[in-house]
Amino acid sequence: MSEENKRHLSRRAMEIATAIATAAAGGAICYGAIEIGIGWTETGPAPGYFPFYVGLLIIVGSLANLVRAISIRDWNTEIFLDIEHARPILAFALPLVGFMIATLLLGLYVATLLYVSGAMIWQGGYRWWVATLGGVAVAAAFYCIFEVAFQVPLLKGPIEGWLGIY
Amino acid sequence: MENFGHLLDGFATVISGHHLIIMVVGVMLGILVGVLPGLGAPNGVSLLLPLTFTMDPVSAIVLLSCMYWGALFGGSTTSILFNIPGEPSSVATTFDGYPMARSGQATRALTLAFVSAGIGAIAGVVMITLLSSWVAGFALQFSSPEFFAVYCLAFASFIGMGGNAPAKTLVSMMLGFALATIGMDTISGGLRLTFGVHDLIKGVSFLVAVMGLFGIGELLLTTEEGLRFEGIKTRIRPLDVLRTLAEIPRHAVAIGRSVLIGIWMGITPAGPTAASFMAYGITRRFARNASQFGKGDPSGIVSPESADHSAGTSALLPMLALGVPGSATAAVMMGGLMIWGLTPGPMLFIERPDFVWGLIASMYLGNIVAVLLVLSTVPLYAAILRVPFAIIGPIIVAVIFSGAYQIANSTFDMWLVLIFGVAGYVFKKLEYPIAPLVLAMVLGDKAEDAFRQSMLMSNGSLSIFWSNSLVASIMGLGILMLAWPLIGKVMGLRNHVRRSRQNPSTAS
Repeated sequence: MSEENKRHLSRRAMEIATAIATAAAGGAICYGAIEIGIGWTETGPAPGYFPFYVGLLIIVGSLANLVRAISIRDWNTEIFLDIEHARPILAFALPLVGFMIATLLLGLYVATLLYVSGAMIWQGGYRWWVATLGGVAVAAAFYCIFEVAFQVPLLKGPIEGWLGIY
Repeated sequence: MENFGHLLDGFATVISGHHLIIMVVGVMLGILVGVLPGLGAPNGVSLLLPLTFTMDPVSAIVLLSCMYWGALFGGSTTSILFNIPGEPSSVATTFDGYPMARSGQATRALTLAFVSAGIGAIAGVVMITLLSSWVAGFALQFSSPEFFAVYCLAFASFIGMGGNAPAKTLVSMMLGFALATIGMDTISGGLRLTFGVHDLIKGVSFLVAVMGLFGIGELLLTTEEGLRFEGIKTRIRPLDVLRTLAEIPRHAVAIGRSVLIGIWMGITPAGPTAASFMAYGITRRFARNASQFGKGDPSGIVSPESADHSAGTSALLPMLALGVPGSATAAVMMGGLMIWGLTPGPMLFIERPDFVWGLIASMYLGNIVAVLLVLSTVPLYAAILRVPFAIIGPIIVAVIFSGAYQIANSTFDMWLVLIFGVAGYVFKKLEYPIAPLVLAMVLGDKAEDAFRQSMLMSNGSLSIFWSNSLVASIMGLGILMLAWPLIGKVMGLRNHVRRSRQNPSTAS
């Protein structure tokens, strides 16, 4: 356990990783721009002209950040994220991803119901029927606000179809 | 005087039962997003924007701008009662607001904050009333090179004055420009940077980026820090409110100075956050007795608040008159204007005076409504914050994803929100500024069009940006802004040397 707590990601590692990632994005942008032409056409600058220089500036900025990340000493000891802090983030992020997948399968309303109820049971420590009521209330409120008041449809899944809601 | 007539017309447009209800709804929703963790003004306005597509533009802008004012007030509420800034721009309010509230003077702290904020906001609107026609008239002389120069100036001042590492601001901003170019090219009609991904053809909406970067990113940070809402229970006592009102004139100097700072920082893209910190710092420097700062000094509350709100309202001047928003929220609103089919910029004053002056009139009314509403509803919102995060968190997430889906009825956008959320979390922790990215996404197409048209005018020669005194002076100002950190360093060094000569013992 104590061994585990010492494991962490340093700020420097994260700075370097981010700088490399943005540089890679810049590279991809330049590549995409070159594909569509970065020169001059009879209608003015080619479509890739502007994005190419944008990509180039991203690469330049990323390199500057990379140099800075390596040269600033304090960032070596500064902790970006350790296990202790990663736990609550995962406890928040994993259900969030679950919610996304549920949304794709079941639609936004049912996924919201499940997500809110689930979080209330496992993270809030509520009894199951309180949590279910909470989830239903939130989903119903969404329906009233979006579908009825503003008339914007949200993603629906098979269950609404069975119930004949739409 | 001409402006005054326009303003009266604006009031005539806005004063109706319908618009007053919209104002109240906007302010209430705004306070809500300002109070809730993870939702802020840019995010709230983004979430509400898809719901306004079917509204008429005047009602829509009244709703969105009132939400903005409400969110600014909501952010101050949590700063004072919970020591948790609901908005980045209300961080400085926590320094003295929370200590004062903790010492049993919550009503005084809140009243000071709200009233000085209201004064700041009204001062900002007065400035807009007086200057907007003039600025718009001036901007009517602009053609493409001048507009591109103005965009350059805006972005250069972000890099030079932003306070973050310049290279990080540059990367963040350019990523925004790159994201804006994804999809259909407005001039050639061809596809750009889609890399064969079908869902990218429609482009990446700035709303998706705001929801992810500000919303999910902020929530991830909040959960990491662990939520402890140890709020101060309070009731607003009317007598205390009146007593505090009588105290306000004593802070007139601090408020006046902060308002000026706020207006300046709002017009330039430095924004409300920088304004509030600067106002706080300057007030403390000029204070006769600085020892009370951080322990509940009233001028430590009124200064950041009046600067924050005057900057927030002033940010709409460049948005309306030049088409260059002064803050992330103003950028989102400007994106909204374009979606409603309006073109922000000088022509808006000629084509849609009812819209422009209706908005300006609503800013007066909206801020007064906001001060009254926020004072009367503080206990309600404080109660909302005591709802456990296990309930509030998932609801906020569900609202954000529903909002993301509504933009284009696309589930792909929901995944993008998630990606932007992770990026936002990393960017915030590594101090990459996010506002320039959003601004660049909103302005990207316009800036590129201005650039391309300028290039067409000059046959590809960059010298067009120096071709007349107007464009050259804007460009020159931009370069000055870019070089500002260097200039500051040189001046700082010189001062340091001078001081250490005069007084060798204190220099270190």
